[in-house]
Amino acid sequence: MTKKTVSRRAFLMGGAALSGAGLVRAANIKTRPWPGNRDDVHCGIIGYGPQGREITATLARVPGAVVSAICDTYAPMLRRAQRDAPDATRHADYREILDNPDIQAVIVATPTHLHRDIVLDSLEAGKNVYCEAPMASSIDDAKSIARAARDASGQIFQVGQIYRSNPQHRSVFQFMRSGAIGRPAMARGQWHAKESWRRASPNAERVRELNWRLDPQLTTGLIGEAALLQMDVAYWVLDELPTAVHGFGQIMGWNDGREVPDTVQAVFEFPSGLHMLFDATLVSSYEEAYEVYMGSESTIVFRDRGKAWMFKEVDSLMLGWEVYARKDRFYKETGIALLANATQLDAQNVDPTEDDPNVETPLWYAMQEFMDNHAFGPYPPAANWERGLEAAAIAITANQAIMERTHKEISPSLYTLD
Amino acid sequence: MQTVRLALNAMATRFELVIHGEDAVLLRAAGEEALSEIKRLDERLSFYNPTSEVSHINDNASKYPVQITPELYSLLKMASDLHDKTEGAFDVTVGPLMRCWGFVRGSGAWPKESAREEALEKTGMDQVLLDEEEFTVAFKQHGMAIDLGAIGKGYAIQEAADLLRECGIMSALLHGGTSTMAAIGTPSPDDEGWTIGVVDPLDESSMLTSTTICDEAFSVSAPHGKAFKKGDQVWGHVIDPRVGYPVQGASVAAVIHSSAIVCDAVSTALLAMSRTEIDQMAQKFQDIRILCAYSDGNELNFVSNGFNLVNSTILNDEKNG
Repeated sequence: MTKKTVSRRAFLMGGAALSGAGLVRAANIKTRPWPGNRDDVHCGIIGYGPQGREITATLARVPGAVVSAICDTYAPMLRRAQRDAPDATRHADYREILDNPDIQAVIVATPTHLHRDIVLDSLEAGKNVYCEAPMASSIDDAKSIARAARDASGQIFQVGQIYRSNPQHRSVFQFMRSGAIGRPAMARGQWHAKESWRRASPNAERVRELNWRLDPQLTTGLIGEAALLQMDVAYWVLDELPTAVHGFGQIMGWNDGREVPDTVQAVFEFPSGLHMLFDATLVSSYEEAYEVYMGSESTIVFRDRGKAWMFKEVDSLMLGWEVYARKDRFYKETGIALLANATQLDAQNVDPTEDDPNVETPLWYAMQEFMDNHAFGPYPPAANWERGLEAAAIAITANQAIMERTHKEISPSLYTLD
Repeated sequence: MQTVRLALNAMATRFELVIHGEDAVLLRAAGEEALSEIKRLDERLSFYNPTSEVSHINDNASKYPVQITPELYSLLKMASDLHDKTEGAFDVTVGPLMRCWGFVRGSGAWPKESAREEALEKTGMDQVLLDEEEFTVAFKQHGMAIDLGAIGKGYAIQEAADLLRECGIMSALLHGGTSTMAAIGTPSPDDEGWTIGVVDPLDESSMLTSTTICDEAFSVSAPHGKAFKKGDQVWGHVIDPRVGYPVQGASVAAVIHSSAIVCDAVSTALLAMSRTEIDQMAQKFQDIRILCAYSDGNELNFVSNGFNLVNSTILNDEKNG
């Protein structure tokens, strides 16, 4: 079941570094230590679509992780799995993975509406669970998952709201929470792409299964399936949850018989009075994805999965560090780059105004957090069941408001368990 | 019969895809999946993206063996095999030489001899340690760098074409920057294949060759494009990794083969090869078609295997057919 049998060289190197360490990968000893003398974590991937593949590729580079089993109900996906993870066993039924006592962790990367049964069965089988976001496509499912995760004491449950684990986001948040933008005025976010959102297969039944995102009974729409990670950043950084949402949805480009809007706008109301406008479209890719927070002193923009810039008002005070910071030009505006680890980079003789050469993707950091939790935990991860429930409740309600083109209150009871 | 066209900017070029079939909605869906695969590979293989696997290798592989995905491991293995088959003319460790000659973010400049020699010392696939058991890659010395520029596009096109076939596509043409392409089936049942041409390097308004490909890939390489002038000589961005100088051989090289990966890598390698070495390529790769054009400024000479040349009056076709 182990991904790699230990070579003599790896054994010697591992043994030299960690007496009696056993299965330690030589590659990971020097710079990304897998903490302590822990055994590798054997993971099962359930759902081998694009996200399942991305997670598998990421885990191949995360210390401590071994992808030992992969499940998908569609045979061509399993053929791809064989190539991507040659030593992993392959299954059409996820219960075979749950029955394997050597698998400690499962990653649930199926369509959203299939999460509930798999997560509940996995937790019941004693596995640690990483569940892709959104956690569920109905409030009932979200609460069932949240309840099971809460009650599974001693087990890890992490939701795929990956920016919560990203050092770059965390770094900028400290900065924002310190009041750098002044009095917040409003916030705006967008997710723009030019694509049909349809999937193809020579098999008609498979086409129906693949296109669950366009089934109004199953999907959380663009706001849930595309924009959720960015919205999660918004109410995290604003430190408050929305109380209401007004939604609009239109079919503007893809008149192919679909009922799910290809273009949406949602205005979220927060208790402080702040409003955030989020829009998403499949018709235009202009400016792709970003979030912007506007305040009386400055505006902060997040884009490219965690990069951030500050645009100061002309009358705001000069900040001590900004003279040394990197400035990037955006048409007529000049943005001050907000980089994580600037001090550490300086200590490593890396120019702190350059991007960190060892930076990883947000998904890598999320997976690293999941693996580290196996070594040090269990403790509640940054994206725990509560954050998953909140995000699901917001996405599901916003999608309802969009489908009905109406205003919806988001009851505080949606965010909590009884 | 319906036709769908899609495009993507990735790998510093423009990919275009045309698909023929019955249902335009499904054709587009398949095309989008294929192009998103190219985008995914661009993020993973890019020399310039700091979070790419290739960047992590280049930053760390001289310090310790870097864990990589089985997918990238397989690609590096393929690159290593192609290096051997081309007698070192294709080499993904050409990064230090590219940097030394100013081609990484510029259009090139003549380096100091000591810098060129140093870069040449840091070049060579034999200095890359691939550990099959651990899925790791390590460099034998500091300063080495892998650049998949001469194979990444071919690999992405091959993967995307495989996805299109999995989606049931029977007729499609996919190209990246018009230099590497894969053809699925034929444009219509009456055609023998997709017609492709190689532009004459001395006269861009005419074609050197025109041929058809069906369930095959094609790639064309040329040293011009990114180039600089020193004296009367033009020095292009394709560097012979064996000697450390920009190639001064063929003006253009084209390859047809079942694999877009082979086409991409071999068409680059041909630019650095002697004519004897080029002749040997036909024995090393089954069913490969090769065309190399050499220019003395006024006239072209050819080494050709399997290509039909358009205007034979100005040509010295050594092995046409």
